[in-house]
Amino acid sequence: MISRLLPVLTQERRAATLAVIILFQALCALFFIGDVVIDLQGGDGLVELHLAIEGAVAVGLVAGVVFLMLELRILLQRVASMETGLRAARGEMADLVNHFFDQWGLTPSERDVALMILKGIENEAIAEMRGTAPGTVRAQCAKIYAKAGVDGRSQLLSVFLEELFAQGMDGEIKTAETHKPEQKRYA
Amino acid sequence: MATFGTLDSGRSGARHDPETPLPEHPLPARPLPARTVAVWDPLVRLIHWSLALTILINSVFTEEESKLHEWVGYVALGLVAVRLLWGLIGTRPARFTAFPPSPARALRHLGALAKGDKTVHLSHNPIGALMVYNIWATVVALGLTGYMMGTVTFFGMEWVEEVHEAAFGWLIFSVALHVAGVFFDAWRSGVPLVKAMVDGRKRIPEGTRTE
Repeated sequence: MISRLLPVLTQERRAATLAVIILFQALCALFFIGDVVIDLQGGDGLVELHLAIEGAVAVGLVAGVVFLMLELRILLQRVASMETGLRAARGEMADLVNHFFDQWGLTPSERDVALMILKGIENEAIAEMRGTAPGTVRAQCAKIYAKAGVDGRSQLLSVFLEELFAQGMDGEIKTAETHKPEQKRYA
Repeated sequence: MATFGTLDSGRSGARHDPETPLPEHPLPARPLPARTVAVWDPLVRLIHWSLALTILINSVFTEEESKLHEWVGYVALGLVAVRLLWGLIGTRPARFTAFPPSPARALRHLGALAKGDKTVHLSHNPIGALMVYNIWATVVALGLTGYMMGTVTFFGMEWVEEVHEAAFGWLIFSVALHVAGVFFDAWRSGVPLVKAMVDGRKRIPEGTRTE
């Protein structure tokens, strides 16, 4: 996750640097063009070769500015698509959560409770939101942990966290089949 | 895209275990979530604040008819020129097509405002777009008349100076209106617009559509 996030930040810094350079170079180009125009009005001797060179430089500068602008646009599009990718990854995360829940055979109410656990909601708050006794929620939590083969809240979370790291490292999404509840990990 | 919003999924009713009663107030269907959208690219922001700076410098700090005043003016002209080029080939919200100068759209937008429409425009809103073109045109007029004052052809011609003065008054009025408009629209839409011009992202409040 972090390895995917970092490029977005560095790319944004690159884009900002590029924008500064574009603006600076564009102002330089305009200054130079102004200089050429003034020279044109002056009309001293030896001008033609000099003017031709200055004109070529001006064209080069403007072409550079336009090229950099197009580069900046491409860079920004790439940043945007990376952000979309991150969002998609979050969407896949939701699919993954549902997939695990199916694998573990959670009942509908256990699913709701498990989802709230993943979101970091305290047991008392879950009881309140679901309109049940705190004891009921504790019992449901125990069943969820047993079905998932974990020891508690933080281990339940780490099942999903590990999935994210696995995605980051080998680039492919491991499916829930590799996480059968039978074997108890982190023991 | 799947979301986490399954707290109130229909399944709860189908196979409900008897020890937990259904919540009394089921959670309603979720409205559009609050979200941030990258809108203003770094070049747009850089040009915006540089132009604001040149206007501030030339209206408050430099002496008229000084060399510095002239050069700051030329920089302002250059900034507008670069922005116009970026309006043709830039990122989507920066392009003219995203905020065409259309009084008809502005009028329709006014009507929508009156009806309490909360839709957020990702680029400039149609009234703000008119202000943008107005400020650019005014800066160009100031720059050109300022340049003309220094040329042999127009030197000493009074109308040039008068146009320059009038354009300056109009610019200050426009900038004041622009700032007021920004704060009004930020208050109305709930989108922190000044922040958006600093970090480039518009934070769209929950339940708000964008256009």
